[in-house]
Amino acid sequence: MNPQNIVLGVIGADCHSVGNKILDAYFSEAGFHVTNLGVMVSQEEFIDAAVETDAAAILVSSLYGHGEIDCEGLRAKCIERGLDRILLYVGGNLVVGKTPYEEVEKKFLDMGFNRVFRPQVDLAEVVKMLKADIAAASRP
Amino acid sequence: MTPSALASIDIGSTYTKGALFALEAGAFRLLSRAETPTTADNLAVGFGRVREKLGPGGRGPEDFPVYLSSSARGGLKIAALGLTADLTLSIARMAAYSAGGKIVRTYSYELAADEIAGLEALQPDIILFTGGTDGGNSAVVLRNAELLGRSSTAAFILYAGNAKVRDRVLALLDGKAAAATDNVMPEVGTIQIEPAREVIRKIFLKRIVDGKGLSTVVRETGRDPWPTPLAVFELVRRIGASQPGWSDFGLVDMGGATTDFYSHTEAFTGGDSVLLRGLHEPLLKRTVEGDLGLRVSAAALWESERAYLTSRLAAAGRSIEDFDAYIHRVSAQPESRPEGGAERAYDEMMAAACVRAAALRHAGTLSRVYTPQGGFHVQRGKDLRRITRLIGTGGYLSRTENAAILLEACAPGQADADSQPLLPVSPAAYADEGYLFPLLANLAGDYPDAAARTAVGGLRVLKG
Repeated sequence: MNPQNIVLGVIGADCHSVGNKILDAYFSEAGFHVTNLGVMVSQEEFIDAAVETDAAAILVSSLYGHGEIDCEGLRAKCIERGLDRILLYVGGNLVVGKTPYEEVEKKFLDMGFNRVFRPQVDLAEVVKMLKADIAAASRP
Repeated sequence: MTPSALASIDIGSTYTKGALFALEAGAFRLLSRAETPTTADNLAVGFGRVREKLGPGGRGPEDFPVYLSSSARGGLKIAALGLTADLTLSIARMAAYSAGGKIVRTYSYELAADEIAGLEALQPDIILFTGGTDGGNSAVVLRNAELLGRSSTAAFILYAGNAKVRDRVLALLDGKAAAATDNVMPEVGTIQIEPAREVIRKIFLKRIVDGKGLSTVVRETGRDPWPTPLAVFELVRRIGASQPGWSDFGLVDMGGATTDFYSHTEAFTGGDSVLLRGLHEPLLKRTVEGDLGLRVSAAALWESERAYLTSRLAAAGRSIEDFDAYIHRVSAQPESRPEGGAERAYDEMMAAACVRAAALRHAGTLSRVYTPQGGFHVQRGKDLRRITRLIGTGGYLSRTENAAILLEACAPGQADADSQPLLPVSPAAYADEGYLFPLLANLAGDYPDAAARTAVGGLRVLKG
């Protein structure tokens, strides 16, 4: 996999585009080659893009509360399609209502995501984590 | 100096057709026409006969220059190889079609042993080898290069994938006829097919001109032949670019074996609540349907479009058994012409089925999506709704009087309220009177505006 290449997008029937553009600019600035798929991205589109770009990570955003349904099965599909070492990050308003963050995090970690983020995060921290995670995943 | 007369000759797989034109006031005037069966063993013989009929005594370029195209030997056979079906393979298909090729097989991901064996047996003219963005996937691409390098295929291998491993790919293909050009998809969703098209055209010349007498023809005329569909593709481009009122149009070229659909219109025009997913398709697009045709492909058509044809037969009160027998007969005897009212009705239904299915496969879709932020429309593929004119060409459609056959391209595909095909809405219908498009297309390289003007000027309006 190519440690510079990451795939970014907003999953499902979610049209929130502002945060997506901020993430694209921030990660590009941080030295990543970002393939930004924009809004309303399906699991298949994330995976196709990751396969073609040999991406190290897929960064999934979900703002509208249906993240759980939209993200279910993404890890399994990645494995089926040969992306057995890819990092999966997810962040945003992942579920509707006032579920404690720890529960949400556990749910998405169980689904096979490597990192789960709250709606408010320090992107500098995320970049640091991503670089470290990619370095760890790249070791044979 | 502009010559007083020019000839254009198309060497097809069944017939060699030609026309002699005079160039007057920026358009071509038809002086004479000729046609003879293609002489498959030595193409130069049939070619010479047609040229002699067009202008008796005309031997060399000093008498009249001859422009030519060829789709003999079944055209330019391309096998397309991509990484994922929806991205690089999909773009490789676009590149192959817009270069005038005929796709004989497609492959994605790593080639399996039986796929390599199949490819060796298939003997395509060209393997269009793509995969990966620039700096993207290299593992599968290099593995496929290794497999192709070790295979016994004699096809020309054109690599148009991940540019960062181009040198390594070419090294693995050492000993093969191979070349590399720019990646058809340098970034996800970015389509760059022009460089590959140009190389395919050059390979066509090199590989097709050798043998079967075509080299004699080239020597005598001093001109290289074009693949017939590529010439038509360029003519469509010129018409769209230069003819007033023709910026949004479609062309259906229906033959015995295939139906080609060309569209010249902006693929996506957007709007506040419409989102494009998937690839942004090009302004000019060609698709080829190998199972839609009136003769050689009649049985395949009956299989693919059975539901539609069955309902047409029922509406006309005709028997399925008789139709089935007709399909068997015309498949076995592709040169047969319809006799009597029933057979003419069958041909008409088959033609309508070809046009309808070719349009539906060429067009994109618009689906309604309900989101917490409100209703949105998602477009996939190409929007043909702005097409205002539709032309039919090929032996059958250039002769038809019936606009309804061509307007089947506008028929709704299904009754799904949440998803609609983006077909032309109510275009004017035209027939390529005299079947001149392929011949004018040969002249479009040197005389683009005159060829485009003549092509449009010679159309016959079909009344609905």
